[in-house]
Amino acid sequence: MDKTLVVIPSKCTGCGTCKLACAMIKGKGEAIARSRIHIYTTSPDEHVQLTCLQCVEAACVKVCTTGALVRNELTGAIAVNDDRCIGCALCETACPFGHMHFDTQRGKPEKCDLCLGNPACAQFCPHGALVYR
Amino acid sequence: MFIRIDGKQVEVKKWDTVLSAARRAGIQIPSLCYHPALETAGACRVCIVEVFEKGWSERKQVTACEYKVQPDLEVYTRSESVLKTRRTTIDLLMARAPQNAALQALSKNVEYPQTIYPPVADAGDCVLCLLCTRACEQMGCNAISVSGRGDTRKIEPPYGANPDACIGCGACARICPTGCIALTETPATITIWGKVFERLHCVTCGAPMMSIAYRDYAVANRELPEDYYTQCQECKRKEVTARFAGLSMKVHHG
Ligand code: FES
Repeated sequence: MDKTLVVIPSKCTGCGTCKLACAMIKGKGEAIARSRIHIYTTSPDEHVQLTCLQCVEAACVKVCTTGALVRNELTGAIAVNDDRCIGCALCETACPFGHMHFDTQRGKPEKCDLCLGNPACAQFCPHGALVYR
Repeated sequence: MFIRIDGKQVEVKKWDTVLSAARRAGIQIPSLCYHPALETAGACRVCIVEVFEKGWSERKQVTACEYKVQPDLEVYTRSESVLKTRRTTIDLLMARAPQNAALQALSKNVEYPQTIYPPVADAGDCVLCLLCTRACEQMGCNAISVSGRGDTRKIEPPYGANPDACIGCGACARICPTGCIALTETPATITIWGKVFERLHCVTCGAPMMSIAYRDYAVANRELPEDYYTQCQECKRKEVTARFAGLSMKVHHG
């Protein structure tokens, strides 16, 4: 837990490499819409990257009754344990920041788990706007 | 504590069942009704194995998902008698739902493609695994249960009527391994178990969300207040963007 994902919007150019990396790793190469990191462009040269904040008192964890959302002790990130999930989908609506995506095909939620300690978004960001340190 | 599964030594915890121990050790035992987060039902019998404990004169067939481990337990997951029983079980399940993809995949695993039993009329792909009723119970609703006996046994709301306790969360439909619970969504409604639920809509963009009944239930029975359930994911993200824009750096604590 000695590392955190540092997001530096001022360096972001909105190129979307992080989203692509995330979709390739987490969505198994599926559409970029499956990315767990988002970029919102607020003005031509202002871009904000958004991904799970790994809240200390996480809303998703609070509504889960089966212990399917657990904080990983090594990374400090909250990860989905598919096996324990019963597909109630409440975590998706509960997340106040919009970072829980419920995959209706599989009946399971998806969220950023910091790639278990090697986040692809930070690894591939060419502008140093996402750093894991 | 150690047990042996198919001759392989496996370390187990005292609360393990044969199935949970095997899973952790990467040994595949087919199962249909087992779910780590739900009470064990022992309903499908697909996870049948043979066990042998010290002092016994012969092996016994048991369901792996229910059988608690004992020191020095011997487990056989692919013996001839296990494969035979498992085939018969899957065969009987397939008589209820011969066309079902999940069952066909299972039956392929035991190299036995076709059921020899006459199909059960109107079973509608349900194999009575009870995952739906247990998921419903876990949600705290108990809106559906088993009714009838023998070949008229089925899952339904009390008296087959509109289930009062159902909130339209859809967990039953999503957990169903044979996909036989109909859940219909339109922008305005969610229909399940014959009950039509009005949907909540994002206060900002109007996108359809969960059912209003589910929101009300969540507010009453989970920790979060109603304002957590007012906006869709996209609108929530946009709102956060406005708050973060102009920040030079933010840290996502892990
Ligand atoms: S998984 Fe053990 S009886 Fe169904």
